[in-house]
Amino acid sequence: MPTETGRRMIELVHLARNYTRADGQRVSAVDDVSLIVPEGEFLCLIGPSGCGKSTLLQMMAGLVGPSSGAIVVDGKEIDGPGRERGMVFQRDSVFPWMRVIDNVEYGLKCRGVAAGARRDVARDYLKRVGLSHVERAWPRELSGGMLKRVAIAAVFANGGEVLLLDEPFGALDYVTRRQLQEVLLDLWEEPGRAVPNVVFVTHDVDEALLLADRIVAMRNGAIVDDIPVGAARPRDTDTLLVPDMVAIKHKLLGHLGLTHSALATASERGAA
Amino acid sequence: MTVASRQQLVSLSVFAALVIAWEILSCVYTVEAQPGEPMVAGWGTLFTRTLLTLSDYWQGGFGVPAVADGAPRSYLAAVLSILSHSLATLTRLASGLLLGGVLGLALGLAVSWSPWSRRLVQLPTQFLRALPLLAMVPLFQLWFGTYFLGQVLFVSYGVGMIVFAGVVNAVRNVPQIYLDNARVLGASRTHLYRTVILPAILPAMRSVVLLSLGAGWGAVLAAEYLGAQSGLGYIIVYAQQFGLLDRMFLIALLFILYTSASYWVIERFFTRLLAWSPSSQAANP
Amino acid sequence: MEPPAVSGRIEAVAGPRRSEARFSDDPFRAVLRALAVLDPFRLAGALLFIAVWELASIFVSPIILPGPLSVLRRAATDFWSAPALSYYGVEDPSLAGNLAYTAENVAIAALIGAAIGVTLGLLSARVWFVRAAMDPIMMTAGTVPILIAAPFLLIWFGVGRASAVSLVAFYIVVILYVSSQRAALNLDSIYENYALTLGAHRGLMLRDILIPGTIPEILGGFRIALAGAWGLEAVSELLGSQSGIGKVLEVLAGATDPQGILATLLVLGCAAILTDALAATLIARFAAWRFAGS
Repeated sequence: MPTETGRRMIELVHLARNYTRADGQRVSAVDDVSLIVPEGEFLCLIGPSGCGKSTLLQMMAGLVGPSSGAIVVDGKEIDGPGRERGMVFQRDSVFPWMRVIDNVEYGLKCRGVAAGARRDVARDYLKRVGLSHVERAWPRELSGGMLKRVAIAAVFANGGEVLLLDEPFGALDYVTRRQLQEVLLDLWEEPGRAVPNVVFVTHDVDEALLLADRIVAMRNGAIVDDIPVGAARPRDTDTLLVPDMVAIKHKLLGHLGLTHSALATASERGAA
Repeated sequence: MTVASRQQLVSLSVFAALVIAWEILSCVYTVEAQPGEPMVAGWGTLFTRTLLTLSDYWQGGFGVPAVADGAPRSYLAAVLSILSHSLATLTRLASGLLLGGVLGLALGLAVSWSPWSRRLVQLPTQFLRALPLLAMVPLFQLWFGTYFLGQVLFVSYGVGMIVFAGVVNAVRNVPQIYLDNARVLGASRTHLYRTVILPAILPAMRSVVLLSLGAGWGAVLAAEYLGAQSGLGYIIVYAQQFGLLDRMFLIALLFILYTSASYWVIERFFTRLLAWSPSSQAANP
Repeated sequence: MEPPAVSGRIEAVAGPRRSEARFSDDPFRAVLRALAVLDPFRLAGALLFIAVWELASIFVSPIILPGPLSVLRRAATDFWSAPALSYYGVEDPSLAGNLAYTAENVAIAALIGAAIGVTLGLLSARVWFVRAAMDPIMMTAGTVPILIAAPFLLIWFGVGRASAVSLVAFYIVVILYVSSQRAALNLDSIYENYALTLGAHRGLMLRDILIPGTIPEILGGFRIALAGAWGLEAVSELLGSQSGIGKVLEVLAGATDPQGILATLLVLGCAAILTDALAATLIARFAAWRFAGS
């Protein structure tokens, strides 16, 4: 939930990112996107493949520079990656040469936190994601779902104000995905500390409805819709059946080109 | 300028710089091992005077008398000597590769017939492989002489060990699913070997052959260094004893040409042969 | 938060005590694995080999092919003291002494070669200029047998350590250059990005990402290089040296002493096996994360 202060945490100011393809054509991955995200909000970016949502996220992380425009986080314009903007990647990014506990500690170690203190923090977060018993395991020995938990624990343990997640559960089966969504919300709503911002990229409409305070739909590099989701937490699959939610879902499906009529026309044209 | 062409430019420049540096060095460092034989021979000298001196190694024949018999040096004699010594080296290499390859393949396939035979020979072969190949030249020379037989047997030993180990390993790594598929379709043991295992190990054979080629060249060179009476290695070592760096350098260049060409040929051959293979082994060495 | 009931490779239901035993730092498992080497078939194979050898040595005169036991005895006696060697101009009349000389050269060459090869290789993976400049040289050097350089080095450095060490060092440089370059190129860029988003600054990339990520492949290359290094060192000594295993081999060959040659090769082989085992333990120690759980 956005905080009462309404303080702006993330501001995207006329952000654009262009590429030149091999054949010389200029492609606009992100086309003049402006967005204001208040503190503590769980924002979902949704859209079909190639709509620019991942590029946008990479720019927010500071891993890709914008062609024009600026990104302001907590009042400061960003110019590169930093620990205040932690990221969970789509693929497994956990360091294979470090044991699980060392992975979770890594961010704290970079900051110079003392060994004992950071171990305690890491252990605490591992417990909260349910991985205490694999503390000393090598990442290679873990399943995909468990690796995602490690990544989430690491990013939360690092204590950033903004958390960026790039389709993190896309490669997982439905059951694991639902469990990890709960893990994420659990950590996000942790009592006793400032609620971080989350920017969650997905193409799964149900996932967005279950998680987000606000859903921004993108298409062809631009924002095409900005929908607040007012449903109370905790949400479950029954929440998705509420008429307001169903209406939002229809709108989003429309943006994704997945309405009945759109699909019918597509199949007529022979598009797969 | 694209990335690839920038890289090529740098590579060519480095190569050119080395060539030029050599030439400059030859003008600066004019020490001669023998009159007329500079230690650092410039490119011009290399392909004229030094080339001529190679006619010293021609034993006579084809109407061209040997320098040792008093005849003058000539380009013809030089070319003939290069050809004959190259032939000697290449024959030894080819025979060794062939013999070692065939024996290694046959033994490897035989040993892979049953898992027990594989385990039976494991410790002795591991031990034999631990003996550094190049250190065994004196042994082979003692047993088989310093002539063609000894050299070829030495090369085939080195090649055979590599091929044997490679074949055994490759057969072990044939995906069980291919074997199951064939058996379910009714293939007999020998039929299985011929139609499934042999093609299946072909991609792995690429790196085995390249490794054997490398070992073969090294083995031939070592054998020729240590007691041959002909061949490119013999010329180099013989010249080394008189400090004739220029001749050594010329022969070394020729040698580099041969080895690079042999690798290129084998790689082209395998790329054609393995065009069907989906595995990355065909694409990456 | 309950862990999932079934989640792929590891059952997350295991309680704290049992789970510790499941992972790669389990000494009991390691001992079991080592014992597997000594299975009866393998042992039988080794014994069979020795028996066949002994029989062959009887049929073919033992002067040409000495039997395994006589070779072993010779190796044992000559190891600490072999006065006969000094007659042939070998500096140190013992197998041990010459082995030490050879081993020292290999060690020095390994250190120099590793330092240069790994540095250049890693650099070439990150700096395109270095790669463009060094790749053609290294690739050509990779196809040509390194032995080609031996006579040149003999002339430049004379008979002695320097020529042998430089030959072997050059060999190791080429192999490790290729290994490190490939390892660094294969290292997924996602790890760097991940580290940056966790707050690591660029300076930590080398220590935390590049080196740990490439060590298994580099150590693998080092192990292979070490095996070839022994032989190369021996040949270099054969070509021109006053000491070392190669010199001993040359001397014994000249004296038509196959028993001595086999004994020396046995000693050399054991040294090579030892260093290979050492390399393997290094790999097990530093690359456990690669092979864990398999």
